[in-house]
Amino acid sequence: MIQVHNVRKRFGDNEVLKDVSFRVDDGDVIAILGPSGSGKTTLLRCLSFLEKADAGKVDFDDKTYDLGSASKKEILQYRRKIGFVFQDYQLFGNKTALGNVTEGLIVARKMKRDEAEKLGREALDKVGMLDRADYYPSKLSGGQQQRVAIARAMVSDPGVIFFDEPTSALDPELTGEVLDVMKKLAENRTTMVVVTHEMEFARRVADRVIFMEGGLIVEEDGAEQFFTAPKTQRAAEFLRGIEAGF
Amino acid sequence: MSERILKELADSFVKLLIPGIRVTIPLTVISFTCGIIIALIVALVQVAKIPVVRHLARFYVWIIRGTPMIVQLFVVYFGLPSIGIRLAAFPSAVIVFSLSVGAYCSETIRAAIESVPKGQLEACYCVGMTFPQAMMRIVIPQAMRAAFPPLSNSLIGLVKDTSLAYSVAVVEILATAQRIAARTYDYFWLYCEAGLIYLIFSTVLTWAQRAVERRMERSR
Repeated sequence: MIQVHNVRKRFGDNEVLKDVSFRVDDGDVIAILGPSGSGKTTLLRCLSFLEKADAGKVDFDDKTYDLGSASKKEILQYRRKIGFVFQDYQLFGNKTALGNVTEGLIVARKMKRDEAEKLGREALDKVGMLDRADYYPSKLSGGQQQRVAIARAMVSDPGVIFFDEPTSALDPELTGEVLDVMKKLAENRTTMVVVTHEMEFARRVADRVIFMEGGLIVEEDGAEQFFTAPKTQRAAEFLRGIEAGF
Repeated sequence: MSERILKELADSFVKLLIPGIRVTIPLTVISFTCGIIIALIVALVQVAKIPVVRHLARFYVWIIRGTPMIVQLFVVYFGLPSIGIRLAAFPSAVIVFSLSVGAYCSETIRAAIESVPKGQLEACYCVGMTFPQAMMRIVIPQAMRAAFPPLSNSLIGLVKDTSLAYSVAVVEILATAQRIAARTYDYFWLYCEAGLIYLIFSTVLTWAQRAVERRMERSR
């Protein structure tokens, strides 16, 4: 279980996160929704120490990490328990698909190469990319790159995988293959926190929805509840706005 | 061109090639190798923003880029003995050329490292790597790919710049040409021939650069 306490973050005068707390149970899929600028991505980045929060704590595996002042060693230990999928994939350009997946195991976790490659191939198989194991990222489509990135995030069997708008950089016809992979992960009870604009995905796959606006969690609900009968006026307006958009 | 000059040029070609192979090439290879190591360190302390040392690095680049290489050679070879440091000609030249390559190439490498998207470093962090691991395994290899063409340029530039070592009595190609011409008075032909030897060296390096670039293109 992961408990996030009171995360705050400001960039200059702009208070991006104003006291955000939530819980993630093992095996849960949480969709974080909200208009752009609501602080969703910053929240994920703070939770991975890619941005230093001004305040906030995370309880993870019986240990508490201070998001503002954790030591380098603690950050390293924490990061080895999470996976992160970026909007723009960020596959290592100088490594093949398999190299991307095994790099963290071999370099950060000091795993033996053949052992890492065995795990790596299994992970690539799960995302349907085993036949492209020897391809460099530049030879893969956006959807294929993102699937490899997901394999890279899950290969170490992390306690949670954070997804930062994993399909928003993709051409529309390529989002399906990525969402399918994520759906499969969810069915296997992988703990996931997904910032997304894919409402269908959130509705069908997520267990819970966190709706953010202006740096605050405005509403937190079961996914079905959120989409059929949102409790707050703001969430209802947000959902209407999206329906109107289509 | 008389037959005499043709024969003399044929003789002197080998005489010029020998110091080219025995002096110019080692001078270039040793200086460039040391220079690239210096450049990497100087670039990294700046990228990693190590306090104090990064300012020393900037200072070093400022001095070397802001003064002529021939002045640096004079300072090291003719100047240092007057404060009690006596260096032979060849090591003096190696020191000056290494420092020069180090300064110019550190800027090339720094720019190349900064051209690698920041997300690559973040992705390294998110698979549990440390900053040095990320640099060594992911960022620098990609930066070197970007830096390769300008670094090749610097190498070719250095081959030609080694002729400056002539001024501190290193007997390289130009000095040898000068010696032969002093005897035969065929300055025009011998200096042209010295230029031809540099041209051959540069051309070979240009071919090698293209071959490596083609190989890199294939593995990406």
